[in-house]
Amino acid sequence: MSASFVEFHDLRKSFGAVEVLHGIELAVQQHAFVVLVGPSGCGKSTLLRMIAGLESITSGFISIGGRVVNRIPAKDRGIAMVFQSYALYPHMTVRENLAFSLEMAKIKKDVMKARIERAAGILHLEPLLERFPAQLSGGQRQRVAMGRALVREPELFLFDEPLSNLDAKLRVEMRVEIKALHQRLESTTIYVTHDQVEAMTMADLVVVMNDGRIEQSGPPLDLYDNPATMFVAGFLGSPAMNLIKGTVATDGSAPVLDVGDGLQLPLPAGIREKPGAEIVYGLRPEHVSIGPPGSGLPATITLVEAAGWETHLYADMGQHVARIVSAERLNVAHGDHVSLVPDVSCAHLFDATTGARLSID
Amino acid sequence: MRERGGLIDGLHYRLGRSVLIGVPLAILVIWTTIPIVWAVLASFKDPLEIYESNTLLPANPSLDAYKTVLSMRGFDQWLFNSVFVTVVATIVPLAISILAAYGFSRYAFRFRHILLLLYLVPRIIPRVSLIVPLNNLMSDLGLVNTYWVLFITYTASAIPLATWILVGFFGSIPKEIEESATIDGANMWNRLRRVILPIAWPGVVTAGVLCIREAWNEFAFVLALINETDMRTLPYQLYMLKDSMGVQDYAVYNAFTILTVLPLLIVYLLLERRVVDSIVSGAVK
Repeated sequence: MSASFVEFHDLRKSFGAVEVLHGIELAVQQHAFVVLVGPSGCGKSTLLRMIAGLESITSGFISIGGRVVNRIPAKDRGIAMVFQSYALYPHMTVRENLAFSLEMAKIKKDVMKARIERAAGILHLEPLLERFPAQLSGGQRQRVAMGRALVREPELFLFDEPLSNLDAKLRVEMRVEIKALHQRLESTTIYVTHDQVEAMTMADLVVVMNDGRIEQSGPPLDLYDNPATMFVAGFLGSPAMNLIKGTVATDGSAPVLDVGDGLQLPLPAGIREKPGAEIVYGLRPEHVSIGPPGSGLPATITLVEAAGWETHLYADMGQHVARIVSAERLNVAHGDHVSLVPDVSCAHLFDATTGARLSID
Repeated sequence: MRERGGLIDGLHYRLGRSVLIGVPLAILVIWTTIPIVWAVLASFKDPLEIYESNTLLPANPSLDAYKTVLSMRGFDQWLFNSVFVTVVATIVPLAISILAAYGFSRYAFRFRHILLLLYLVPRIIPRVSLIVPLNNLMSDLGLVNTYWVLFITYTASAIPLATWILVGFFGSIPKEIEESATIDGANMWNRLRRVILPIAWPGVVTAGVLCIREAWNEFAFVLALINETDMRTLPYQLYMLKDSMGVQDYAVYNAFTILTVLPLLIVYLLLERRVVDSIVSGAVK
């Protein structure tokens, strides 16, 4: 592993009396694709704007390439940013849009030309160079915005929800294109999104943020398989993880979770919590299956979504609605009574009060 | 059969729409242009014809009235005064207003809204009520009967107007465009010059045209603060015509009016073409 390229240390941001980022600590390796993900208002865009130099830093520091940038103006931070709205200059052609930053940096004409041609070549913008932004489609504008970042040859690319204005199909295409571009350029990228699918599919490192704090950071599958908090467990994955609150009890010698309505879920044998403790039982939809009648928890199917490659089921368990994902095409319909079998070995347990993950022996 | 019915319905609809839109529009156009048309036609009439005849069209159209106006002693000077004062009282307020509007629309500072409201005060209070204090002040400063007095008063009156128009235009430019320019390395001056002004150009032209109109037509201040013949502007001289001519020569009045309005009309027509609408579209989303 190379040394960390971008670092945040005890980074805080306040707007007036309201603190929106509470001591962010993070190290980003060089060449990494980092995705900051979280719900609206979690502070991810603010954090990105602070890296870009568009927001001041209340306390703590940001360093890029070993250099503290708190007081360095945006243009000298070696960054380029792609905005959600693209923010192209409407009165300039695509070529002029690409050239603007180079003109500001007083780059020589021939170098400028070469850089524009290179960026245009990479992003297939050659036929569009003389057009104005108003004459481009959403996807083309998006590529121009990326081209404008590219010509600056930055050490760090910043993306602020760049795909949220595109339709679903184009979003998937651009997602692939951005990731491929990253692999080709081997640049360091920090990418903000609220879409957990983008986070999971694009990132080397996912940073889940909530309420101005980092909930957890790590490789996507680590976070998916071992969420450190109930928030991360519920945020990553679609359909979302089943989270069922209950009280630890025993059935003979085996620990179970009493979830009301006389229903009991089997708990892993190594659970440390004593009977009577309130915990939350988390199980991914793909870890619930439909067993033979009477083999598991009784439930009634309320919704069937046949996506083709997999089937999503929603089943009413009384106080809870269970989400089930099956790789098979199941022959069930609305109103069917089924028996749900949880895969206990895949269960995640969380403290009902703090939301923290509970360890199992 | 049904198709034909549909066709007739369509025709009815279109006819109805044309009547609904066309008739009020025609009335409005006639309403606003009649005085001007009347003035133009009257300027071609014989002086006595205006009193004697009730017809709109001149019996023997002639350019005599225009010749009289153009050969008036001092006309060149009055025209020059009007042009000179208008040019200065357009460029200076525009330059100041662009900077002020940029500040108002882009920087959140204390008392911003109050200041913007205070900016309007000179335009809210009646102009006439300013004349006595202004006259005293300018006399004390020794500026009465100079161009300076016109520059100062016209500029002060145009700045609020231009600033308010530009604040709206600048404010409508998405902040991200400017942030993008910041990251691209543009300092405040470059952002204003290379990004904000070109995008807000229709607004700048609008504000400019209004400044020109204000200065060109200004009457109260020039009447109060100028009393030398050589320093008069065209509107002032138009007003003075009534006193300076023995017989009320309406043909000459109207010729003078037309010649006063004409430059402004030309400016309007020239600049209108430069206002390109909806240039902002395509910048974001």
